[in-house]
Amino acid sequence: MAGETKEVEYGYSRLIIPIGPVHPALKEPVHFRVSVRREEIIDVDLRLSHAHRAIEALAETRNLVQNMYLMERICGICSHSHTTCFTQAVEGIGGIQPSERALHIRTLIFELERIHSHLLWLGVMAYEIGFDTLFMYTWHVRERILDLFEETTGGRVHHSMNTIGGVRSDLTADMVEKIAASMERIEKDTRYILNVFQDKTVEKRLSGVGLLDSRTAKELCTVGPTARASGLNMDIRKDDPFAAYESLKDSFSVVTRTGADSYARTEVRIYEVFEAINIIRTIADKLPSGDISPEESILRLINKIPEGEMISRVEAPRGELLYYIKTDGEGGIKRLKIRTPTLANVLALRHMLVGGEIADIPVVVASIDPCLSCTNR
Amino acid sequence: MFILMVLSAMCPVVFIISLLFEGIDRKLHARMQKRIGPPIIQPFYDFVKLFGKESLIPVTAASGINIASPILAAASSIIAAGIPLASFATTAGAIGDLILILFLLAASSIMIMVGGSSSGNPFAAIGFARKMTMMVSYEVPLFISVVSLAIKSGFSLAYNDIIQFQIQLGSCFAFAFPSAAIAMITFLTCIPAAAGVVPFDIPEAKTEVAHGLLIEYGGPYLALLKLAKSATNFALTFLAFTLFFYLPAIFKGNSSLGYWAILALCVAGALVIMFLTITVPRTIFARLKIGQAFKFNLVLLPLSILSLVLSIVGM
Repeated sequence: MAGETKEVEYGYSRLIIPIGPVHPALKEPVHFRVSVRREEIIDVDLRLSHAHRAIEALAETRNLVQNMYLMERICGICSHSHTTCFTQAVEGIGGIQPSERALHIRTLIFELERIHSHLLWLGVMAYEIGFDTLFMYTWHVRERILDLFEETTGGRVHHSMNTIGGVRSDLTADMVEKIAASMERIEKDTRYILNVFQDKTVEKRLSGVGLLDSRTAKELCTVGPTARASGLNMDIRKDDPFAAYESLKDSFSVVTRTGADSYARTEVRIYEVFEAINIIRTIADKLPSGDISPEESILRLINKIPEGEMISRVEAPRGELLYYIKTDGEGGIKRLKIRTPTLANVLALRHMLVGGEIADIPVVVASIDPCLSCTNR
Repeated sequence: MFILMVLSAMCPVVFIISLLFEGIDRKLHARMQKRIGPPIIQPFYDFVKLFGKESLIPVTAASGINIASPILAAASSIIAAGIPLASFATTAGAIGDLILILFLLAASSIMIMVGGSSSGNPFAAIGFARKMTMMVSYEVPLFISVVSLAIKSGFSLAYNDIIQFQIQLGSCFAFAFPSAAIAMITFLTCIPAAAGVVPFDIPEAKTEVAHGLLIEYGGPYLALLKLAKSATNFALTFLAFTLFFYLPAIFKGNSSLGYWAILALCVAGALVIMFLTITVPRTIFARLKIGQAFKFNLVLLPLSILSLVLSIVGM
C-alpha cells in the first residue's frame, strides 16, 4: 500500500522464509511467509488462492448432471464426499428419496474413501518427519483400497458412484464379500502402522507440536479431525446424520483426543480408520436389498427439480464439507457455494505455528491435512 | 613421491567404489521399504546426467566461492578416502596422515557449508546454521575416539601404524581393549551424523528447508557435491572398518591372503559397516530436530572422553 512503510531487519537475526508455492513439503499452491529468528517462528503470513479454479462460476453454466462430474473433480482424494454433498442437496430440493440400498452403498464408498484419505495423510505425515519407510508402508496399504475402488466402482480416484436419487452401479454379493475380506488385512496392516507411529522417534517429532487448545479451536471454527484432536466432540455423521449413518449410529464412535497437538491429530486419524472399518463391516453384513437408482432417466429427472435452495453438509475425511445450492428450475444452477474443510482449518495454522521451530512447519501444516485443490475451488 | 603417485591412482578407484557404495545403499534402502529400487549403478547415471546439465549461479551468490567450494569439497573427500587406500597399497604412511584424513573430511563438510551459504538463499542460511551445530556436536567425539586409538598404538597418528599395530597384536582393536571398544561405539554412532543421513539429515532436510545447503546447486556442481558426500561416506566406513575391525590381522599367519584379497575384505567390511550405520538408521528412524540431535551427540562426548581416559590408564 502506498504511504505504508515496512520495517525491515537485516542480517540473520530475522529471516523471512517463503514456504510455497513451490516447496518440497507442500506440493500445492499455497504460500506461507514465515518470519523466523534462529529456529523460532515469530510470525506467519498465509496466502491462499494462487490457482483460482473458478469451479463455482463454471457450475452456473452447466446442468445438474454435468455439475455432478464437475464437483467430483474438485478434489482427487475426497471426490465421493463432494458428489455426495452435492447430490444430497439436489435430492433435498427435488424431494427425491434414494433407496436404503443406495444410501448404504454410498456410505460404504464414503468410508472406504475415508480410510484411503487417512492412510494417504498418515503417509504424508511420515514423509514430513523424514520417515520414508513408514511413508512407503502406509501407501502400500492404501494401494489395496484403491484396488478395491477400481474393482467396485471402476475408478481408482474418481469413482462416479453417485447419481441423483441413488448410485450408479450396484455391488454384487461377491464384491461385498471381497470388501469385507480385505478389511481384515487392512485392519492388521493399520495396526502395524499404529504401532510404528507409537514409536519413540516419531512421537518425539509430533507430540507437543502445533498446539491448539479447544477454546481456540472452537473460536476459529476448526472442523473434522483437527477439531476432534483438540477435544471437540463434533462429527456430522453423529450430529446431523446423512446417507445411511442414521441406521449405523451404533456401529461407530467419534474419536476424540485432548492432546491438541500433531500427535493427537495423528492418533485421531488412525483410530478413525478402525471406526471406518467397523462401519464397512456392518454395512457388508446387512446391506439392504432393493433398487439402487430411480427408474426414470436422469435427464428427465433433473428437469423436474424445482427452483429452490438448500444447504447440505457431510463429514468428509478432513471435516465438515458444506454446499449451498440454488437451482433455477430448468435443470441448472443459479448459485453454488462450497465451503471445504481446509478453508475452515487453515486459519488455525497461524496459531499453531507461532512460537514453534522451523522443523515443525511441515509437520504442523500437514497436521490439518490441507487440501488446496478443494480450497481453491 | 611414490605415495603421491599411488594416491592419484587411487582417486578413480575411490570414485568408482564410493558411487557403487551409494548404489548398494540405495538398493538395500529400497528393498527394506518394499520397493524395487534403482539399479546399483544408478549413481553413475546420475553423475553423468548432472554433469551434462547447465549450471546456474544465482545473482545473489558470491559466484567465486559458490563455484570453487563444490570442487574443493569433492577433491577433499576423494583424497580423504584415497589416503587409506594408498597407504594400504604401499604399507607406508606419512606421519600424522590420520589427522589429515579427518581434517579433509571436515573440510569437505565445511566447503559444502560455505558454498551453500554463499548462494544467498535463506534456506541455505538456515542449513548453514544447522550444519554448524551438527558439526560442533559430532566432530569432537569422532576425533577423540580416533585419538584414543592413537594412544593405544604407541602415540602414533599415522594410519598405517595403527593397522600394523593390529597385525602385531593379532587381533582387532574393537575386540582387544575396552577403551577401543568404547571408541568404536562412539565412532560408529558418529557416522550417521557425519554422513548426514536420516535421522541426522537436518541441514538438508527436504521437507523443512528444501535441501538447505544444496538448494541453489544444480548441474555439475550438484554432481560434485553428491560425489563429495558419497566419498565421505566411503571414507568414514572404510576408516571405521580398518581402524577398529581390521580382520586380516587375525589371519596374520596365513600368507595366502594377498594384497588384493585383504583390500577386498576391507571394502566388504566397510560395506557391512555402511549397511549398519547408514542404511539401517536411514530406514528405521524419523528425522530428529536439531536440538534433539545435538543432545543425542552430546551423550557421545563423555563416552569418547571415557575411552580416552581408559586408553591413557592402559585398558
